[in-house]
Amino acid sequence: MIDAPTITIIVLMATSTYATRVLGYMVLRNRNLGPRMLAVLENVPGCVLISVIAPAFVSDNPANLSGLAITLLAATRLPLLPTVIIGIISTGFFRHFLGQ
Amino acid sequence: MDSSIDIHKKSSARVEAWRGMRATLPVMLGIIPFALVLGAQATQKGLSIVEVPLMTGMNFGGGSKFAAIKLWTSPPHILLIVAMSFLINSRHILMGAAFAPYLRHLSKRQALPALFFMCDESWAMALSDARQETSGTVSFPYYLGAAITLYLTWVVFTATGAILGPTLGNVEHYGFDMAFNAVFLVLLRGMWRGFRGCRPWLVSLVVAALTSLLIPGAWYVATGATSGLIAAVFWREAI
Repeated sequence: MIDAPTITIIVLMATSTYATRVLGYMVLRNRNLGPRMLAVLENVPGCVLISVIAPAFVSDNPANLSGLAITLLAATRLPLLPTVIIGIISTGFFRHFLGQ
Repeated sequence: MDSSIDIHKKSSARVEAWRGMRATLPVMLGIIPFALVLGAQATQKGLSIVEVPLMTGMNFGGGSKFAAIKLWTSPPHILLIVAMSFLINSRHILMGAAFAPYLRHLSKRQALPALFFMCDESWAMALSDARQETSGTVSFPYYLGAAITLYLTWVVFTATGAILGPTLGNVEHYGFDMAFNAVFLVLLRGMWRGFRGCRPWLVSLVVAALTSLLIPGAWYVATGATSGLIAAVFWREAI
């Protein structure tokens, strides 16, 4: 059920993952930050989130791009739950009719 | 007197935790199908039904595990998998740093375990919630409510996926993966500060997209985020 190399990897991954989570916090927690640092931090959420989803914008699949366009439009004017539902349904629809 | 304040605090903490749990509902629409798929894929790569929840429970964060599963061979290439998962998770260093000013009211003993449960979604939700609060700090019960709910959903449904295995078919063929983009886009809208203020995002988008086209692997998050932040500093100096 459990073998040694697998457990080694899981533990190493867990350590490196947790390290990334606490590192930034530990370094900055008791500092007074200058205006430049604050400007950087203020932009972290936007820059990280948009980078994570960036590959979707250059997908080579027309169905995915159409689904993304509808989702983007929905996201500019609707709350979270309707946007998610519209995104899922429209993408499923385009994949069905435009093919994978 | 004191005890009445205490009761008030406790009940408002419960209300806040509940508010956090409810806020995760749309996010779950994306997480559940993906957790099922990941669990099923992991068993196909030779992980056992016990090892799957162990893996997803000990290191929480969808992306790194998808990459790890993709790279999983038998016997597994330890260094490659660990390095790739560090690379994908390196954004958490920035995320934790951006979180720090909003966690000032917490002790280290509260914050460190809480950060274990942080994922993109709970982090972004708590952060945008904090920016709307007058206190300018993260509501701790709200964050915990959201983060722990997502954590448990993730572990339970990856395990379920491992048990159901191949009977699931290919969930990616429906539109469920778009749920992640939808969640992130709505969170981004909440952070919108006009075109001028958000120019660094555009830099991140372009650089990350190009990187994902040109370089295999998960480098695009690191290159995109870093170049956007450099642009932010540059534009600040230029004003």
